[in-house]
Amino acid sequence: MKHLPKHLRPRWRYLAVGLESWTDADVGRRAFQRELWFATQNLVGDAGSAELDSSVLHFSFENGDGEAVIRVRRGEVERLRAVLATVTAVDGQPIGLSVRGVSGTVRACEEKYIRRPQVQIEERTVAFADTARSAVTRNDRVDVDLPAGRVGATALDIRDN
Amino acid sequence: MYEAVHAYPDGRATVARLAKRAATCGYEGIVVRNHGDAQASYDADRVAEAYGIDVVVGIEIRADAPGRASGLIGNYRSKRTVVCVHGGELNRFAVEQPQVDVLTHPMDDGDVNHVLAKTAAENGVHVEFNFGRVLGSDGGQRVQAIQGLRKLRELVEQYDTPYVVSADVDSHLALRAPRELLALGETIGFDRETIETGLRAWGEIATRNRQRQSGSVLEPGVWIEPSRSDG
Repeated sequence: MKHLPKHLRPRWRYLAVGLESWTDADVGRRAFQRELWFATQNLVGDAGSAELDSSVLHFSFENGDGEAVIRVRRGEVERLRAVLATVTAVDGQPIGLSVRGVSGTVRACEEKYIRRPQVQIEERTVAFADTARSAVTRNDRVDVDLPAGRVGATALDIRDN
Repeated sequence: MYEAVHAYPDGRATVARLAKRAATCGYEGIVVRNHGDAQASYDADRVAEAYGIDVVVGIEIRADAPGRASGLIGNYRSKRTVVCVHGGELNRFAVEQPQVDVLTHPMDDGDVNHVLAKTAAENGVHVEFNFGRVLGSDGGQRVQAIQGLRKLRELVEQYDTPYVVSADVDSHLALRAPRELLALGETIGFDRETIETGLRAWGEIATRNRQRQSGSVLEPGVWIEPSRSDG
């Protein structure tokens, strides 16, 4: 099939999104894409989904931190933001999500906002609320295992022992 | 803009972790509004300094009966910067108390009508537009939540009731940036300005109450201005 002339091709915007979860969370591109489509349909319906026409282009997720580039039709960025706010879990794993920026090309988006930061992961025992607990630290962030479940803390909350 | 949060043990993240995340998301401050029976232990100034974000000491009073809530409000008014009341059955009671800053999630297990909206406006009690159930649920529950917000919005517009906006988060992972909340608000029928005003209102309440509690206020409307050393 012949390509559309350039002025008739759809115009896109590319959103760089930062992802965060617990360190043992396993989130794949497909699962994230599916969750995004479900969230879109739940919030803006079939008509809205077609208008947004969003899809996940770049995706990486490792040790509880990840990044993604999401494509959306120009003019629908704000609605995609709204949808992204409602993505709270992927495959039942809670996920924190924030839009880092919007670009007009994939390349600009990746160059500006995708940075793959160096994160030092370490499992150790920490003193949290005066009790020794096992925890996973990622730089300043500390995820503490408590009998009632996991709690997010930072280096400020713990004392080394 | 400010977000009001439930921290450990009321939530799944400590005050420090929430503050760190909120600072990354672009908030100017957080209000810690743990329920009275699940208070967090933290040093607000230390956290604020570490992450460059304002940390406001608050409380959300939850009680079965108005009499008990009244006692708790009396206890905490002088100790906390922001005093909220857990909405629902206590809606009517809360809007009649000028000492109360915020009536939280009034539409969850409760209702607001024209009388309550008017009383809240007279007493300066902020009602909360709570986005928690819009973010965290779907289907019928979400529909009800959006309907509730719409009803509340129409009453607030009619009677000029002061209001706050919050996503009511209990963990760093649930926190969403102000821009995302603005976009969500727009999608469910709010003006962007309304959401922005509501997110700023937390900070305004905190500033006002800090000034009142600083000791420079002698009585309502009379306070001592700090002297200017350069004059």
